[in-house]
Amino acid sequence: MDRGAADLEPALARVLQAGTYVSITLVAVGTVLLIAGGISPLAGGPALHIERVLSDVAEGRPEGFLWLGILGICVTPALRVAGALVGFWRRGERDMVAVALLILAVVAAGVATGLLAG
Amino acid sequence: MDVGLLMLAGGIAAGAFGSILGLGGGLLIVPLLTLAFGLPLREAVGVSLVCVIVTSSASAGVYLQRKQANLRLGMVLELFTATGAIIGGAIAFLIDERLLAGLFAILLVYVAATMLGGLRRRVTAEPATDDETPPHAHAVGEGVERDDRAYLSGRMPVAAVGSVGAGIASALLGIGGGLIKVPLMHLVLGVPLRIATATSNLMIGITASASAIVYLVRGGIDAYVAGPTAIGVFVGATVGSRLGHRIGQRQLRVAFVLVLLYTAVEMARRALAIG
Repeated sequence: MDRGAADLEPALARVLQAGTYVSITLVAVGTVLLIAGGISPLAGGPALHIERVLSDVAEGRPEGFLWLGILGICVTPALRVAGALVGFWRRGERDMVAVALLILAVVAAGVATGLLAG
Repeated sequence: MDVGLLMLAGGIAAGAFGSILGLGGGLLIVPLLTLAFGLPLREAVGVSLVCVIVTSSASAGVYLQRKQANLRLGMVLELFTATGAIIGGAIAFLIDERLLAGLFAILLVYVAATMLGGLRRRVTAEPATDDETPPHAHAVGEGVERDDRAYLSGRMPVAAVGSVGAGIASALLGIGGGLIKVPLMHLVLGVPLRIATATSNLMIGITASASAIVYLVRGGIDAYVAGPTAIGVFVGATVGSRLGHRIGQRQLRVAFVLVLLYTAVEMARRALAIG
């Protein structure tokens, strides 16, 4: 394996691990609040309102922690791709930069598709 | 017992079994949530995708650190799996849930048959290890494990089409898609099985993430269900990865095949709207 990838991989591993542990901790706090509050998971969770997530966290509501954690979980792999993009850019690997950009464009297209259809 | 605690326990069992048997948790979470907790199949798929990302990201980090995953190959292929995932995410909201249940039943039977085949191979002492020589190893020569680009060969179009298929399956059924990606890399591109497994794990994150985002934006993920289930799967997968080598695999696999077949029958009943 060449030196570029060898430098890049530990950094990307840290991005994945940090993103996962922070997100799963938030979900764990939300789950504890949910169970402690006697709320049944089958009661139907509240819909995601991005603008309310931080205020829900500040007020100690389970849905705030749960949504923030779930968003973190969903975004972590894309952060790894963004990190790879920066790494490949520094190494001058333009073809891999293009691949990373295309992956991020596909993910963005998914958001756009969902918003348009929803 | 509290439903949240039951979901947590179910998630732990699914994560541990999935980890010990080398299967993604998604294969077990969807039946668990639909058959045991009565969730609609599409909601179960959305929650399963969140769980799949958690376990994939945690283990992919380890694989990257150990330099077992092929970053460049994984990124080229995940461009296609992510595209498939977006397509699958869009299709999932258009098709009847009974069709989804039917597809899931077929998937379960396929996995059970594959596991039975693996058991028979072990009995007849055929080699089936991670170090198995890939069929096309001669095409890329020695030292391929150290060269990230060695597998980006003329067979890539076949792998690209297969990867789109893996992405669609992931989004429709809430699985990681490793069942398709690993054989594809091993048989088509000649990647050694151990590297193919690690690279597939790396790709699962962005594949499941692309489809989970579609589910998320369209209101297909229930945070109250996703919370306890994801925590359970994370804990179960962590425990399973540490205990796996101490547990008798053969008996566990036989029991698991029976569970898969029973679940397949239940899913098929749902697909046919029986009972």
